[in-house]
Amino acid sequence: MASRLHSSRLFQTLKTTSHTCRLRHLSTATAAAAKESYEDADGISMKGVKISGRPLYLDMQATSPVDPRVLDAMLPYYLSSYGNPHSRTHLYGWESDLAVEKARAQVAALINASPKEIVFTSGATESNNISVKGVMHFYKEKKRHVITTQTEHKCVLDSCRHLQQEGFEVTYLPVGSDGIVDIDLLRSAIRPDTGLVSVMTVNNEIGVIQPVEEIGNMCRELGVPFHTDAAQALGKIPVDVEKMNVSLMSLSGHKIYGPKGVGALYMRRRPRIRVEPQMNGGGQERGIRSGTVPTPLVVGMGAACELAMKEMEYDDKRISALQERLLNGIKAKLDGVVVNGSREKRYAGNLNLSFAYVEGESLLMGLKEVAVSSGSACTSASLEPSYVLRALGVDEDMAHTSIRFGIGRFTTEAEIDRAVELTVQQVEKLREMSPLYEMVKEGIDIKSIQWAQH
Amino acid sequence: MASTPSKSQILSLFRSLLRTARDFSDYNIREYTKRRTIDGFRHNRHVSDPSSIAAAYSDAESQLQIARRQVIVYSLYVPKLKSVMEIKHA
Repeated sequence: MASRLHSSRLFQTLKTTSHTCRLRHLSTATAAAAKESYEDADGISMKGVKISGRPLYLDMQATSPVDPRVLDAMLPYYLSSYGNPHSRTHLYGWESDLAVEKARAQVAALINASPKEIVFTSGATESNNISVKGVMHFYKEKKRHVITTQTEHKCVLDSCRHLQQEGFEVTYLPVGSDGIVDIDLLRSAIRPDTGLVSVMTVNNEIGVIQPVEEIGNMCRELGVPFHTDAAQALGKIPVDVEKMNVSLMSLSGHKIYGPKGVGALYMRRRPRIRVEPQMNGGGQERGIRSGTVPTPLVVGMGAACELAMKEMEYDDKRISALQERLLNGIKAKLDGVVVNGSREKRYAGNLNLSFAYVEGESLLMGLKEVAVSSGSACTSASLEPSYVLRALGVDEDMAHTSIRFGIGRFTTEAEIDRAVELTVQQVEKLREMSPLYEMVKEGIDIKSIQWAQH
Repeated sequence: MASTPSKSQILSLFRSLLRTARDFSDYNIREYTKRRTIDGFRHNRHVSDPSSIAAAYSDAESQLQIARRQVIVYSLYVPKLKSVMEIKHA
């Protein structure tokens, strides 16, 4: 009772004082950086763009906001229960260890695994590295071949390239124009010395769902370990390691409304898959991943997984409806809109659209009040069109204009409507300025034009 | 164990959750909490078994405590700019 009154009075005083905490002393380093951005009451200017408010967030595949319920579970481990879970001699260690084991069970429950099969890592990228490089290094005497797809996440592709430099052979399977890998092609690529097949469950750029159950069945039949990157799939579609017959699965915390900096790796015990550790040290996490397990982050990931299990159905229904609303809203006002990737085998919260006759960078710059991305955050630094879209066989010009809309648990209908309005406005504005579009409206076939050399 | 909560207790809990949701400074969290509360209570409208009602009630009570704490935490770190959804646009 008393604490509730106290907290409400505290809350009232905070409401009034928070608006006065604007002046801050900047260190010289931040002062230098601050010259490029300034904030005032009307808006914020950063990187030459002035916006009046925080953009509405539609980039859930890049990362997701931390759910307040997850934050609530994490805070005690930053405040008072700050022990190292590997300290065996005092209460701080014991309570921290209990929390880590509880989180482990929560993660395992979401994927129908045993807690003993979960290893905590720093993220899905680390889990992917351990899976690809760790497995191949362990079995390097007999197994020299890896199979993966052209649409995998950069960390998998880069690990494979590293293996190639070490002398292993890698087959990068092409995908169909809908983004789905061909099972028969995969079967024919498997050799007696194939040590690993790695196919991601849900693609981060286009959102297509690969037929992992079929691939898993086939790999088990042929005795090849199967690894899947389930970072985008976890908590969004039902993921079951028994049904999928996976030997290894990478999981990420910050895609399921958990904290950044934590992930997990599922490693099957029956039949046991062995890996060579990539992080050496004190032998934590069964020797697979040494280093102090970050209790607050791991607790956050566990809480996020438990929440995902409870909320999956509710979220899925809402997000599917919002995706329909977004797509129909845009298609009703614009033509020349193409959905990249299969329409049926897709996760509803990821919508990758290409707008014909519009340039991608200018569209993104114009959509300053909507936080979206083109392609994936990992590749957005370079100017190349996304390799995923190229693997789908999308034309260069359409690949350049792709926008990825990411819908999540906290997205509202009003945000979707506003995003539709702003996108349509921006695309129409750009098309009006585009001479190519004028030519198309007059009926000229762009592909038949002979561009003159100067 | 506590006896089955009465209808007025359930309604009072529902209203407390909505009132707490209103105090969130973040647009998305605020809307989500309101929506989830309404949908959650609506979903359990026809539950008749007393132990299930009691379980759902105590679950909602703990969610209320979490929400109250988080409203305070979010209010400590309000960003200077509001979301564009909260700014009236022409």
